[in-house]
Amino acid sequence: MNGAATQAFGGRRFDPSTPVFALLALLLAALIFLPMGWLAVFSLTDRAGHLTLDHFAQLLSDDDMVRPLAVTMIVATSVALLCTLVAAPMAWLIARTDMPLARPVRLLVMASFVTPPFLGAVAWEILAAPNSGLINQLYRLAFDLGRESRLVDIYTLLGLILAIANYTFPYVFILVANGLDRIPADMEDASSILGASRWRTAARITIPLVLPAILAGTLIAFLQAMNNFGSPAIIALPAGFHTMTTKIWSMFQYPPQPGLAAAAAVPLLVITIMLLRTQHAMLGRRGYAVVGGKGGQSRLVRLGWLRWPALGFCMLVVGGAVILPYAALVLTAFAKTLTITWSPAGFGLDNFRFVFFEFSSTPLALKNTFMLGFAAATVGTVVTLVIAYVVSRRAVPGHGLLGFLATAPIAIPGIVFGVGLFFAYTHPPLVIYGTLAIMFIAFLTTELPIGFQQFQAAFRGIHIELEEASRILGASRLRALKDVIAPLIVTAVVSTWCFIFIAAIRELSAAVLLYTANTKVLSVVIYDLNENGELGSIAVLGLLLLVVTFAIIALAYRLPRAQSIPTSA
Amino acid sequence: MADVELQGLTKRYGDQTVVNSVDLKVGHGQLVCLLGPSGCGKTTTLRLIAGFLEPDAGTIRVGDRLLSGPGQALPPEQRGMSMIFQSYALWPHMTIADNVAYGLTLRRLDRAEIDRRVQTILEVTQMAAFAQRYPGELSGGQQQRVALARALVVQPETLLLDEPLSNLDANLREEMRFEVRRLHDQYKYTTVYVTHDQAEAMTTADMIVVMNKGRIEQAGTPVQIFEEPETEFVARFLGGTNILRGRHVGDNMVQSGAIALSCARGRAGTGEVAVSIRPHRVELHTAQPAGDGRNVATAQVRRQVFLGVTRDYLVTLEDGTELRAITTTDVDIAAGAAIWIRLPPNHCRALAS
Repeated sequence: MNGAATQAFGGRRFDPSTPVFALLALLLAALIFLPMGWLAVFSLTDRAGHLTLDHFAQLLSDDDMVRPLAVTMIVATSVALLCTLVAAPMAWLIARTDMPLARPVRLLVMASFVTPPFLGAVAWEILAAPNSGLINQLYRLAFDLGRESRLVDIYTLLGLILAIANYTFPYVFILVANGLDRIPADMEDASSILGASRWRTAARITIPLVLPAILAGTLIAFLQAMNNFGSPAIIALPAGFHTMTTKIWSMFQYPPQPGLAAAAAVPLLVITIMLLRTQHAMLGRRGYAVVGGKGGQSRLVRLGWLRWPALGFCMLVVGGAVILPYAALVLTAFAKTLTITWSPAGFGLDNFRFVFFEFSSTPLALKNTFMLGFAAATVGTVVTLVIAYVVSRRAVPGHGLLGFLATAPIAIPGIVFGVGLFFAYTHPPLVIYGTLAIMFIAFLTTELPIGFQQFQAAFRGIHIELEEASRILGASRLRALKDVIAPLIVTAVVSTWCFIFIAAIRELSAAVLLYTANTKVLSVVIYDLNENGELGSIAVLGLLLLVVTFAIIALAYRLPRAQSIPTSA
Repeated sequence: MADVELQGLTKRYGDQTVVNSVDLKVGHGQLVCLLGPSGCGKTTTLRLIAGFLEPDAGTIRVGDRLLSGPGQALPPEQRGMSMIFQSYALWPHMTIADNVAYGLTLRRLDRAEIDRRVQTILEVTQMAAFAQRYPGELSGGQQQRVALARALVVQPETLLLDEPLSNLDANLREEMRFEVRRLHDQYKYTTVYVTHDQAEAMTTADMIVVMNKGRIEQAGTPVQIFEEPETEFVARFLGGTNILRGRHVGDNMVQSGAIALSCARGRAGTGEVAVSIRPHRVELHTAQPAGDGRNVATAQVRRQVFLGVTRDYLVTLEDGTELRAITTTDVDIAAGAAIWIRLPPNHCRALAS
C-alpha cells in the first residue's frame, strides 16, 4: 500500500463493534457455560472430588430414581399425544372452518398459554381434590352422598396428565395455526380447481402441509411436560409419586445429594437438546409447510350442522383449561371457607385483607418479583437487541456464534439450569447464592432466547437497504441506527420487554432451587402457601399475577404497529 | 473531473470469486450499465463501489481519491455518492418530503434551502403533490420516483442504481427507463447502473459493460455490444442469435458442415470457431440464390409463426443444425417446404469459442 493510499483513508476511526462483540460473547458464554460446567463436574465427582460414574450408575439402578424417570416419560408422552389430538383439530377448526365463536375461543387458548402451569394446577386442586374439591362437593350435594364419595380425584397420574395438558396444548395450537396461516390460499385453490371438494382438499393438501408443524408441536408439548416442575410438585407429591423434576428438587432438601441431582439433570438436558434438534430439522426443511407464500384469504370449509359439535369440543377444552379454573380462583379468593355455601355471608374480602395487610411474605415477594422482572426485562431487551442486530446484519466475524449462544438457553430446562446455577454461584470466585443477583442471572439467561428471536424476526422485517440508503446519503452507522432503525424497532422493543417481564414474574422451576428467605418471589410464595393448604391466599396472589400479566399483554397489543414497509422485493 | 475507476477489483466469498479482477473506467458524467445474468457479480461490483463491501484485491478511485483498497474501505457515508436500491428502501416512518430531505439534513443545509431543493426535485420527478404522504400510501411507480428524487437531491458526485426498475410492472418499467435517461441528461451525474434487462441497458446507457462469472466479457456502446459482440456469451445474452460451429480455414472463411461461410467481420483465431448471425439477418429463398455458392445452404422449414409485424421461422440444415430466422410478413413459406437460406457475409461474425 503506497503512502497516498493510506493518506486517503485518513486516520481510521475506532470501530466499537469488535470489542462489543467480544464482551457480549464472553458474557453469554459465562452465563451459560459456568452453570453447565459445574453441573458436569458435580455429576462426575464424589464428595471427595474424585472422578466417578457412581451417580449415573445409581440413576439407572436405584428404583427410587428409575421410577420417577418412567413416570416422567409416561406423563410427557401422554401429554404430547393428548395435546396433539386436541389442539391440531382445534387449530384447523378455528383457522379454516366457519365454526362460530372462533375468535373468543382463540383468545381463551391464548389465556391458557399465559397461565402459569403451577397456578392452573392449584386451580384444579381447588376443583378436583378428593375431599374439598368443588366438583366433588357439588357431586355430593347433588346426589346427597356421604363424605367418602367422590367423582374426580386430581391426585392421580391421570389428574397430573390432564393438569399439564391444559396448559401445554396451546404450544401445539399456535404452531399448527401459524402453519395453516402460512399455506398460500393458491395451493388449496389449485386443488379445488382440479375438482377436489373442500373436505378432500383439507385431507390431501392442507393437513399434509401442516404435518411438520403438528409433529414439531408434539415434540414441544413433550418437552414442556417433561420439564414442568410446578404441576407435579403440586399434584404428584401429595399423591405420593415423583417426576424427574420433583425428584431433583427433593435432592436439595435434607439430606442434600448434589452429585445425584446433577446426574439426574443430565437426561432432561440430553433429551431436550435431541428433541429440539429434531424439531428444528422438521420445521427447517425448505419448500415445505412453514415457507411463507403470498396469496389471498383462504376460503373457509363449511361444517354445516357439524359446527355445533365442533364448538362444543372447543368449549370443553378451553372450559377445562381456562373457564373452570379461573372461576375456581375467583370463587376461592372471595370465599371465607373452602366449603360450598350459597349464603352471601360466606363471601368477603378476608383473603385479600390477609394477603395484602397481614401476611408478612407478600410485600417482600411483590417487591422482589417486580424488581427482578423489571431488571431481567430491561437488561434482557438491551442485550438481545444488540445481539440480534449484530447477528442479522453480520456486522462482525463470528456473528453466528453469538446467535448460537443467545439461543442455547432454550435447550436448558429451568430446573436443570437452577441446579447448575446453584453449583456455579455457591463456589468461588462468585458466591452470590442467596442474593437477588443469582435469581436475576437465572431469569435473564432463561429468557434470552425469547428476546433474541423477537428481535431477529423484527430485523428480518427491516430490509438492510433501508439502513444502507441512509449510509450512502452520508449518515454514519450510529446515525443510521438512530434515524432509521430506532423508529422502526421501537414496537419490537416494547413487546420484547413485556414478553420477558411476563415470563420472569411467573418463573418457578429455577427460582424454587435458588430462593432464600430474603429472596422469595411470588411464584415461590404461592408454592409455599400450597404446601400449607392456604388456597384462599393462593387464589388472591394468583389472580394478581394474572391481572398483571393480562394488563401487560393488553399494553403490548395497544402499541401502534409500525408502518407497513413497502419492500416486497 | 471525477471519473470512477476500478482496477483489478476482486471479491471472494470463501473459495468462490464473485468479482474477478475487474478493470473499468467510468468517465465523468457518463452513464454506464453493468449488464449480466443473476450471479454474474454486477451487484457485488456496485456494492463494492458504494463501500458496503471491502474488496479482497484491487482498488476503487473517484478522481484522485482512493476509496477502496484491499482490507480497507472508506465508509459509504464519506464517499459523496447516492444510490437507488432494488427495494427502493424508502423509510416507512417518514413522509415523502422527509425521505427526500434526509440527505440534505445530513449535509447541514439550512431549512429554507432544504425546502427549496426538496420542492424542486419533487417537481422534476412529478411527485410534488405527494410530499406529505407516507411511502406505504404510494404505488410502486411513485415509490420509484421518490427513490430517484431522494438520490438526486443531494447532487452526488456518483450515482449508483441497483436494478431500480425490476419491481415495476412492464408498462411502468418502460416509462421509467426513459425517465432515468431524461434525469441523467438533465443532471449528468457519473452513474453506474446495474441491470439484467438488455432493453433497460440499451435505453439508458452511454456504455454497456456485459459481465459473466465475475468478469467483464465486453464493454462498449449499445451499438457496439449488439452489432459487434466479441464472445458467444455476449451475442447470446443480447438479442439472441444463431450459432454455427466450424473450422477457420483462413481468409475470414469458416467451414461449417457443408457450408462455406465468408465472415466479413469478427476476430476469430484459428481452429474451432463459432459464427454468430442474428435471426433477422437470415434470408430465406424459395429458389437457389445467385452467386458463388458461399454462405448458402439448403434447408427445410420446420415451423412458421405469424407475429403481426414479422414472421418467425425455425429451419433445419442438412446436418441437423437448427436456425431461427425472422422475416418480414411478405415472406410466407409453409412448414415442410424445402428452401435455400443465405447468411449475408457482412452479418456473419466469427467469434472466438
